Amino acid sequence: MAQTALVNRHMPVVWRVAYRLLGDRQEAEDVTQETFLRAWKMLPDWEARAKFSTWACTVAVNLCRDRKKKKAPLLMETLPDQSDHGLRPDQALSQKEASARIMALIEDLPERQKEALTLCAFEGMGNIEAADVMDVSVEALESLLARARRKLRASLAEEQDS
Amino acid sequence: MTRQSMTDERVLALISAYGAEPAVWPEEEREPAEAYLKAHPARFEAALTEARALDTVFAREGLPEMPPGLADRVLAEAPTAPLAHRAGRGLGAYLMTILFPNGLRWPAGVTLAALMAGLMAGFVTAPATAGSGFDSDEQAVVYAALGYGDLEAYMQEVDG
Repeated sequence: MAQTALVNRHMPVVWRVAYRLLGDRQEAEDVTQETFLRAWKMLPDWEARAKFSTWACTVAVNLCRDRKKKKAPLLMETLPDQSDHGLRPDQALSQKEASARIMALIEDLPERQKEALTLCAFEGMGNIEAADVMDVSVEALESLLARARRKLRASLAEEQDS
Repeated sequence: MTRQSMTDERVLALISAYGAEPAVWPEEEREPAEAYLKAHPARFEAALTEARALDTVFAREGLPEMPPGLADRVLAEAPTAPLAHRAGRGLGAYLMTILFPNGLRWPAGVTLAALMAGLMAGFVTAPATAGSGFDSDEQAVVYAALGYGDLEAYMQEVDG
């Protein structure tokens, strides 16, 4: 079945991108479902002007941005400061904990930096495609990536020092 | 950017944006930047070491586990009628456009493309069948003729 092939090939990336941007499995699933709902509507008129993966990731990233925007005021009022993600010095990090820790550090990045890092560093997307998805120039993408990496390095160094 | 125009600043910018591994640097700059790097290794040692540490952290992160059954839930919303049979184009050509927008890249791609084209020609000139769903007899004939049970089996084979 052609739809199965399309879903198997492209859905994992869409879900992973949404998950990394939203940090919530259920919300990532909702975004994935919405992305493919749009795909089913759009496919009959599909023109070979864009890669399906680029189109799908663009839709997913935009849906994530919308969700973040809607959540932002609520988060500011209800959530405590995210200032301390640190673990006790005597606490050994399991792989899962280490992974959660990195996710938390990435979560603290500004949205656009997180998007750039997710697409390029984690999904291995090329710079031109990632810039297309984010609707920014390649130069802007590079700047976002460099700032994201710099901030992560600083955060990790801080943790090591403490 | 050519090898002549590559600079310390540009190589440092590539490392700082994309990391220490040239394989993930922009394709058009990869070769000149790598050559520049090899010609002046000491200049970039510190930046590479710093970037490599973060690359390692990313690599350790791995892929998050997908929710079980998500593909089924996504497919449950898919239309049951054919997605599209564009005028003048067969179903195979349409699928190839979506699944392989940049064409077939693997070594057997050319042979496979020719085979698909031949099969599609047979498909469009064959008598129509009554099936209206996307999981149609026509597709089964095509994939069976290719030597696969269905498109998925075919994709697994070509994608390894």
